[in-house]
Amino acid sequence: MSPTPDPRHLTPDEIELWAQGLLPAARDVHIGECAECRVAAERERKLLRELAQLTRFAPEFGFVERVMAKVKIPAPSGPHLRPDSDA
Amino acid sequence: MFSLLYRMVRDRGLAEDLAQETFIKVLNAIGSYNPQFKFSSWIFKIANNAAIDHLRKRELDTLSLDGSPHATTPDEMSATALQLGDRRETPLQELEARELGGAIDHAIARLRPEYRACILLRHVEGHSYEEIARMLDLPLGTVKTYIHRARNELRGYLEDRKA
Repeated sequence: MSPTPDPRHLTPDEIELWAQGLLPAARDVHIGECAECRVAAERERKLLRELAQLTRFAPEFGFVERVMAKVKIPAPSGPHLRPDSDA
Repeated sequence: MFSLLYRMVRDRGLAEDLAQETFIKVLNAIGSYNPQFKFSSWIFKIANNAAIDHLRKRELDTLSLDGSPHATTPDEMSATALQLGDRRETPLQELEARELGGAIDHAIARLRPEYRACILLRHVEGHSYEEIARMLDLPLGTVKTYIHRARNELRGYLEDRKA
């Protein structure tokens, strides 16, 4: 049995869900019947794809070394952690 | 995290400085980390705060290819516009222009910083609305509103560009 169509236009949250393939079936039927929502949803899907495909950038070579050089690493404390300790 | 900072400030050197500042803060404050908060969210929160603080200080949010949004005359627009020629002064600026030169990155750069942070955290970094609300110390409804407005603005910029 197919879901009963819901005549309300999709909310922005629902359009996002549709673009991610997560819209409940009852609301999905509305997209098939409403040209306005279909256009809005297609535009949303196109934008979300473009955002998801944006290049991921990395810092320049040697970044980790430059950060670690500035980090204060606490000196070991307690007799059991000293390098000359027998423990 | 570096990508977020880079897209927030659009300057590789500055993004690296802010990333360094973020990691140093994280590593030096590791004792105060609350495990109820996702570790990556905590890092993003610190990074985003660093970027927003910087943008507020430098008023980079008014920097635009078309000039300041506060400009009221064509002369003011021209005086505050980012000159594309300036971006080619050094190899690094040339690299930045190439890396961030796509239509979608131009559109993101035109968003106000709060919208930019929300849209990047949601649709580029993949955080949930709830995580973003916690990271940015904003009510969930505000985050949703910012993201919906940012998406509308992005679509508008991209369609204007094509027209």
